[in-house]
Amino acid sequence: MDFLLLLVSTGLVTGAAYGLIAMGFALVYKATGVVNFAQGELMMLTAYVSFSVADRTGLSFLMLMALTIPISMAIGLLLERIFIRPMLGEPVFSIVMVTIGLAVILRGLVILVWGPDPAVFDVGLPDTVIRLGPVPFYPAQLVLVAAMAGVTTIAWIFLRFSRIGIAMRAVAANETAARLSGISVSRIHAFAWMFSSAIASIAGVLFAANFKLAPDMWFQGMKSFPAVILGGLDSVIGASVAGLVIGVVENLFQGYVGQGMREISGFIVIVVVLMVRPYGLFGSREIERV
Amino acid sequence: MRTGHYKERWSQYVALSDNPTVWAWVAALLAALLIAPVVLDGYSTTLLVSALIAVVGAVGLNVLTGTTGLISLGQAGFLAVGAYTNGVLLVDHHWPVWATLPASGVVAAAVSLVVGIPSLRLKGLYLAITTLAFSFIINHVILYTESVTHGPNGIFVNGAKILGFDVQRGAPLYYLVLGVAVLSVLTALNLARTRIGRAWMAIRDHDVAARVMGIDLVRYKLLAFMVSSFIVGVAGALISLQIRFINIDVFALILSIEAIAFLILGGLGSIGGAILGAIFLSFLPEMIRLAFAMLGGSTASLLGNYLFEIRGMAYGVVIVVFLRWVPDGLIGLWRDIRTYWSNWPLAY
Repeated sequence: MDFLLLLVSTGLVTGAAYGLIAMGFALVYKATGVVNFAQGELMMLTAYVSFSVADRTGLSFLMLMALTIPISMAIGLLLERIFIRPMLGEPVFSIVMVTIGLAVILRGLVILVWGPDPAVFDVGLPDTVIRLGPVPFYPAQLVLVAAMAGVTTIAWIFLRFSRIGIAMRAVAANETAARLSGISVSRIHAFAWMFSSAIASIAGVLFAANFKLAPDMWFQGMKSFPAVILGGLDSVIGASVAGLVIGVVENLFQGYVGQGMREISGFIVIVVVLMVRPYGLFGSREIERV
Repeated sequence: MRTGHYKERWSQYVALSDNPTVWAWVAALLAALLIAPVVLDGYSTTLLVSALIAVVGAVGLNVLTGTTGLISLGQAGFLAVGAYTNGVLLVDHHWPVWATLPASGVVAAAVSLVVGIPSLRLKGLYLAITTLAFSFIINHVILYTESVTHGPNGIFVNGAKILGFDVQRGAPLYYLVLGVAVLSVLTALNLARTRIGRAWMAIRDHDVAARVMGIDLVRYKLLAFMVSSFIVGVAGALISLQIRFINIDVFALILSIEAIAFLILGGLGSIGGAILGAIFLSFLPEMIRLAFAMLGGSTASLLGNYLFEIRGMAYGVVIVVFLRWVPDGLIGLWRDIRTYWSNWPLAY
């Protein structure tokens, strides 16, 4: 029983990271119709930038995040302007390929700037163990889960009530109609990239605080794909819930099925979901199947 | 300007080329390729071999992604299947090379059915993600079926001989690869002008319309998967012959991206484009190395440390730049130049 509990609790922590990354994917997909393959790289880049900031200033955790989030939003805006905006109106396939190109460029850039060796990222959280019932947690783990819950709530409120959030949903539903009612679609695209980059930075910093800061962190982006697919590509809230599910599923597979299953159980989930229910648990059913 | 150019028979219409000049140039190119290892030094021959293997892989992927419009990010997985089949059969079961090469293709094609059948009803992004997932699963299976694939230890591929020649180095390897490359290009070109090729293109252009015209989507999509994977599997086998030691790290995600970059650079959907893209990108690292060597000093040493990263970034830049400014790729540029030239001094 303890074993199961441990698997589930650590699964939830990893899953929270997947959920955060997946929300970034879903946000961009919802607003722009493009899967941003560079989301994992964006997370890595913003985490490294935050690392440099922390290294120079030695800020406390909350101050560090308060500084990291605006910087990452600027990075997101910059990348959107340089790489994605000029492609507006091109086929979706081309834009997706551009994000793949962007991903490879960012991967190389991080290694060129910060070097190939992993680093310890001290975000200023204490490392005393906190016990919740029988399960021990590090503060960083709890902060990660709390951050995911917080971001999910904020995203829900934002998409439901705020002007920009409603405009974003309008663009997702029907771009032409949104444009006709006076919404600047290109501005909405820029907002989507900024917010998804902000979420990526939260995910990146907390992931680095929990595990390590290394130039192979981008792979977490790939491993968050199952969460995006399971949640439904265009459902931001679904992505965060599915992230937790994937995190737990991975751990259970690893614990009960066999060594190394952690790495691929998520991808098996992708294949099963796409065969059975390609619009995911929460996505809208408009996927064309021929 | 050529005018009065009428096609009177179907065979003329589907001929590979109706222009004797083209045939003359192709013959000249083949002759040049045949004498290349005699003229060139060992290093240049090795580069040529890598480029030709890339051509085989690009032509294979082009069948699926360019001709049929099914986007695959799982190229690395099929290359791995081909390479490991070749390695295992050659080293552990002592099959001769002339048997292991086709066997690698057949095994890759069989695996592609496992990938293809669940992906049949998906397209676009969803297919790309599924194939990506499958390439991770394939790598995992290879890593954990240690009794067959040697798992994390990798395989030393050696002892490949044809007619007593060691086809793992120098000129014999070159001629083997050249032969396979010419065969696969010919196969792709000839398939493109048959019913099968036209069916694939119809599926690419509009799958519903293709279905209405009586094209069996299931059959032709699976066929595209199999033909593509067969060629890619053989390319994987050739890679294992050339690099002589394979483990799972060789077949990382970057290979799949590289393969897509070949097609985008050359011009999606064109066999000539796939060939051009593969050759150009294979020589790109070498060009970067020469450029850095000219800068000299500290930059050259920086490159030495980060060669892999700079190569990856170059692929990224090529993908982004070409999609942005040259969406038709090198082959599109070539067509523009040709039209401009033959119409000169009139604007086209």
